Amino acid sequence: MHNSLLDDLALASPLREKSSRLKLALVAAALLVGVMSTSPVAPLFIALTMSFASIRLGKVPAGFYGKLLAPPLVFALLGTVVILLFFGSGPEIFSISLLGQSFGATAEGAELSILVLSRTISGTSCLFFLALTTPMVELFALLKGLRLPDSFVELSMMIYRYIFVFLEVAVGTTHAQAMRLGYDGLLRSIRSFSMMAGTLFIRSWEQGERLYTAMDARCYDGRLSLFEEKRRVEVQELLGACGYVAAITALAYITRGTSLI
Amino acid sequence: MHIMEGFLPHPWWEVWYALSLPVVAYGIYRMNRLVKERRETLPLLALAGAFIFVLSSLKLPSVTGSCSHPTGTGMGAILFGPALTAVLSLIVLVYQALFLAHGGITTLGANVFSMGIAGPAVGYLVYRGCTRLNLHFYLSIFLAATLADWATYLVTTLQLALAFPSATGGVVGSFYAFGTVFALTQVPLALVEGVVTALLFKYIIQVKGDVMVKLKVIDEKGLGKLREAIPA
Repeated sequence: MHNSLLDDLALASPLREKSSRLKLALVAAALLVGVMSTSPVAPLFIALTMSFASIRLGKVPAGFYGKLLAPPLVFALLGTVVILLFFGSGPEIFSISLLGQSFGATAEGAELSILVLSRTISGTSCLFFLALTTPMVELFALLKGLRLPDSFVELSMMIYRYIFVFLEVAVGTTHAQAMRLGYDGLLRSIRSFSMMAGTLFIRSWEQGERLYTAMDARCYDGRLSLFEEKRRVEVQELLGACGYVAAITALAYITRGTSLI
Repeated sequence: MHIMEGFLPHPWWEVWYALSLPVVAYGIYRMNRLVKERRETLPLLALAGAFIFVLSSLKLPSVTGSCSHPTGTGMGAILFGPALTAVLSLIVLVYQALFLAHGGITTLGANVFSMGIAGPAVGYLVYRGCTRLNLHFYLSIFLAATLADWATYLVTTLQLALAFPSATGGVVGSFYAFGTVFALTQVPLALVEGVVTALLFKYIIQVKGDVMVKLKVIDEKGLGKLREAIPA
């Protein structure tokens, strides 16, 4: 369960020491280029380079990275199948018959579904790069710097802190229930799950009351001060990031409108 | 039901951002006022947000085998009202995108709209409507949670259909197409979530019913009646 939290890997990442502002800007730029691109070439290039950066520079095990990428891809594939079968006009390139109905795919539909699929892979790999190299703690200071309302950032920080506490409680309770055959069969599973969730809510409520008392006792006035660690941006890093963004923008511009089919 | 990063093309992801931002801003405004009035609100809201995240990252007892995480939107709306739920779900969705790779940043606007605004709004209205009709408390909770889930699912389908209209049937055609594909998992899932939410409220009422009175989910009289029904 805990392995699936990308934040744990980010805390151990060698790229953690790099400036979080630079990483955020780089990922934002790559996301935008990917989603704006009109051909699948640039998104696929971004996906490859971002995955390479996560695995080689970020030292994420390649097998684990593959496993991470699988569930988002399933959703994307489901959606693209719909686009493939229902979108576009013109001559059909193939058709299948299912349950007495025939579904056909046109070249236009195929093109669009490849484009959407490539954009999804590109966006997901950008997110993974950010998630696997930048721990949330580093982003909070940045959020305050962006002038988001204090109460909002504070709420985010407290939510973040307690996610890990409750996850432990939830996983522990679920294991204990499973040991007592609580998840044998659908009805029993539903019962056990609700019981666990109810307990979790009550625990979180009581914890919230305790947290308030504890913070009040320490003169909490609705503002936690944060210390943002200023990390130096090396000239090469800045140049590299700018070069990368320029390269993907140029690639997206040159290949605009081209298709792989 | 999250829309993946990069799935919505320009200009649709911007449109959903534009629609969601005012609601979230209003939610933050409401929250700031509440926090000024009663300072214990912020920690409690934070813990509720963490609870929603943890709940949504756990797998529900699954029926069809695929993606089966509860959304918790109906529950959030019943407990805190739609405006605050919009703020909480924005934060939860960002964390889901960054920790679990559910959803994404460009599609955040669309996801906040379907899961943080439309779903909770429907859930809240259904719950209030049911209480006015004097339906049984747990039945109202079940209906609110299930219908909130279905509303989320319909809005997501609409978002996809608007972005990718079908060549022959237009938006309506692809609405049916996307709808059928996702109905396989979403329809039974929402039912399960409805049952789970109702049972969850039952346990909370049994153990710590005063919380529900504090949150104005139920009044003292209703709580007393539900408590009587529990066999000693």
